[in-house]
Amino acid sequence: MAFIEIRNLVKRYNKVTAVNRIQLDVEKGELLTLLGPSGCGKTTTLRCIAGLEKPEEGDVIIDGKPMISEGFVPPSKRGIGMMFQNYAVWPHMKVYSNIVYGLKLQKISRQSIKEKAKDVVELVGLQGLEERYPGQLSGGQQQRVALARALIRNPKVLLLDEPLSNLDAKLREKMRFEIKSLVKRMGITSVYVTHDQAEAMVISDRIVVMEKGNIVQIGSPHEIYDKPASRFVADFIGAMNFIPGEVVGVNSGTNEVYVRTEFSEKLLCRSIGSDVTTPGQKVYASIRPEDVEVFAEPPQAGDNLFKGVIANKAYLGNFLFLFVNINDTLIRVQAPHQLPQEEGQELYLSLNPEKCIVLPE
Amino acid sequence: MSRGNKLLSSLLWFVIALLVIYPLSILIIESFKVSGTDGSGIQNYLEFFQDTYYLKTFWNTIVLSTMVLLVSTLFGIPLAYILARYRQRGKTIFTALILLPIVLPAYAGVFAFIIFFGKYGTMNLLLMNAGLIEKPLNFIYGFHGLVFIESLHMLPFIVLSLAAGLTSIDPSFEEAAEVEGASGFWRFITITLPLCTPTYLAGAVMVFLWPFTDWLTPLILGQVDFLPSVAYINIAYHFTDTHRKYMGIVAVVVSSIVCITLFLFARWWVEKRKYTGLSKGTTAEGRVIEPGPFLKISSYLYMFFIAALVLLIPIVLGLSAFSRRWVFEPFPTYWTLDNFRVILTESPGLISNSFLFSGIALIFGVVFGLPAAYIIVRTRVPGKDALDFIITLMLAFPGIAIGVSYLLAFWQGIPLATHWIIMPLALFARRLPYFLRIAHASYLQLDVSLEEASEVSGVGKFMTFINISLPLLMKGVLVGVVMFFIMAFQEISTAIFLYRGGWETLPIGIYLNWHRGMEFGISAAMAFLMIVITFILLLIIARIGGGILKAAWGGPGEGK
Repeated sequence: MAFIEIRNLVKRYNKVTAVNRIQLDVEKGELLTLLGPSGCGKTTTLRCIAGLEKPEEGDVIIDGKPMISEGFVPPSKRGIGMMFQNYAVWPHMKVYSNIVYGLKLQKISRQSIKEKAKDVVELVGLQGLEERYPGQLSGGQQQRVALARALIRNPKVLLLDEPLSNLDAKLREKMRFEIKSLVKRMGITSVYVTHDQAEAMVISDRIVVMEKGNIVQIGSPHEIYDKPASRFVADFIGAMNFIPGEVVGVNSGTNEVYVRTEFSEKLLCRSIGSDVTTPGQKVYASIRPEDVEVFAEPPQAGDNLFKGVIANKAYLGNFLFLFVNINDTLIRVQAPHQLPQEEGQELYLSLNPEKCIVLPE
Repeated sequence: MSRGNKLLSSLLWFVIALLVIYPLSILIIESFKVSGTDGSGIQNYLEFFQDTYYLKTFWNTIVLSTMVLLVSTLFGIPLAYILARYRQRGKTIFTALILLPIVLPAYAGVFAFIIFFGKYGTMNLLLMNAGLIEKPLNFIYGFHGLVFIESLHMLPFIVLSLAAGLTSIDPSFEEAAEVEGASGFWRFITITLPLCTPTYLAGAVMVFLWPFTDWLTPLILGQVDFLPSVAYINIAYHFTDTHRKYMGIVAVVVSSIVCITLFLFARWWVEKRKYTGLSKGTTAEGRVIEPGPFLKISSYLYMFFIAALVLLIPIVLGLSAFSRRWVFEPFPTYWTLDNFRVILTESPGLISNSFLFSGIALIFGVVFGLPAAYIIVRTRVPGKDALDFIITLMLAFPGIAIGVSYLLAFWQGIPLATHWIIMPLALFARRLPYFLRIAHASYLQLDVSLEEASEVSGVGKFMTFINISLPLLMKGVLVGVVMFFIMAFQEISTAIFLYRGGWETLPIGIYLNWHRGMEFGISAAMAFLMIVITFILLLIIARIGGGILKAAWGGPGEGK
């Protein structure tokens, strides 16, 4: 049995359904990310796990205990730790008081509170700042206070609601790894909410992609990136070229699918799901910009080889970003920056058939 | 720095010097004069702080202030919590009712409660008729009555400031505490209330200062041993006894110093502990809770209770205004319009004076307030912070201090007091900060780039102000204008020292009618008239500002 089970969860605000019959299992010790654009229901789901929202239907079961169906268990009784988007570090209390606030409510001796506080302060690297007020700390330090506060009671579950979104880019990247290694070391079952796909890729064991209150895909970062379940997922995570077309042939033994597009009668693609199998179906032949190969001279013959003209280019330091026009279809390409390409110049593109996937329209 | 701004700033400083600094310095100088001699010294102050009587009044006032603050806070906390947090029907109406005392003159409440809770008032008569008591109970004559009436009058300040705090706290602060295991009451005590203290304090200081300002309520209730009342009696009744006069002036100065000190202390403390701006990136409008059935009913009962007390004021005054010979009966039996006839035929000047003086004061207010707000918000003229500071200080100054200082300053020296213009001038000076604060707030909301765009397009500063700023500020300005008018219309503590025959205003008429022969009917009719006029003005604000509360209190505490 999973450590956290979410069953048929429904949460409505007035008439808007924020979370629509969600089913989700989080395994013990797993770091699971809820990923999606704003308004997709990820934060609402997290708040339902915390008990900060009362769902209209469904149940949340933590460690075998139902939180809703057998009487609503308030957040204070769920044994969870939580990090908030804006830290929620109480400004009228010193760092130390912030950290031990929850611990003081339990019947624990002063001595052991002190010891635990010392441990957690070292763990998050706040030594020497215990007597400061939050107003005297930087954003990153406040964030560590929030983390220490969430961890000090050894919670069964750690919930993180976009905890890094208020930090600057550099610090954010550093904290991703810190949080991940800390949580993994302590083995806490964690649910992490973010709208930042890079963050989700770095931090998660599994990613849950949400859209409009529904789960659209669950999988490891690899699966989500390589085998997106829909155009929405593919578009949200990384960049993707969507070439509209129609299935003209299917080779069921090898997953090979032939697609007719504006510029090609038979574009060779692969199907990653079982739902794109019938000829005549409208699909998107989809390929990521980094999977398109670029040649200045026509290479040896191969599949999916096309001639195009550079419509736009941007130099991004470690690579070139090109828009290549093939018969009025624009293809985004990420090319090595050694290629001295000018706008208007002709070149050859190879849409790697192994990486070119069909997605339902 | 443009020359125009400097000129404008010097004009404003001239007004401040003439109407604030000059009279207040005369007040201080007078307080050092020694009776019977030409010399001056600190004798008056020494005597004040050695005389057991004055010390007692000083102590009484502090005790009264503490009690009023305590009572209004105790009653205000649940009220603010209900209004700010519970999702309930009719919240807007209740909020409007409960906050009504803020715009009603204090003396109106006193009269109403005397009629209702007095020795042979409605309450006692009803209880006696029902056979529950044999002798009338003393509900209000005495210290407890003072605390009750002043607490009710100041309740809105507490409720508004607490509600502002409760709605502006980032919800995640409380949610974090909830997750950490703190439930209900403990969370409220350790997180919610402490986070409200800065806004609470801003309201609390005004409440605490009120007994240092209000001389009339104790006087009407037969309690004179409070600083402002003693000062009033000493100065107004014993003008020829120079010693008592000087002691009265000392009492005024002491009151003022207490007020200013506490006011500044509160401001400093609030500045130090500003919690806002610490958390970022929230979209929340504050926590709103769906209360359970028990809480819901209790909160309704509680709101009804407070609203009923507040509503007593206009209802009782109305009953009294439309009747005569309402004595020894729980409710009036003889209905008449006589009171109004008397007011209109015998002293129509009261009403016209009130409108005239408040109107002129208002014009002064706008002519001064708009440029002042401009200078303070939009320019870097040297001394603009000092200007802001002095004007804000006027919030804390007791009205009696301004009345007395004008009396002293503008008889000799600059003889303005011989002309009726002194009345609107005093009203203007007394309510200086009110209009300015609202104009100031509207100005802050006005994005400077809108004005800059006009200037870049080649329009000068003044025409930009006329074409762009003024129309955009209009709403805020109009609300400020009406609030200023209401305040000026009700002003008594300043005007009482300055009026001469023929300059009486409605509040002075109310006071005189009570004072002369206990003409309660006429006083009540005047007070009722006052409430009606105030109410009409409030409706006007509501039309301008949308939502009566938003209009009257400038935002915080409004119901949803």
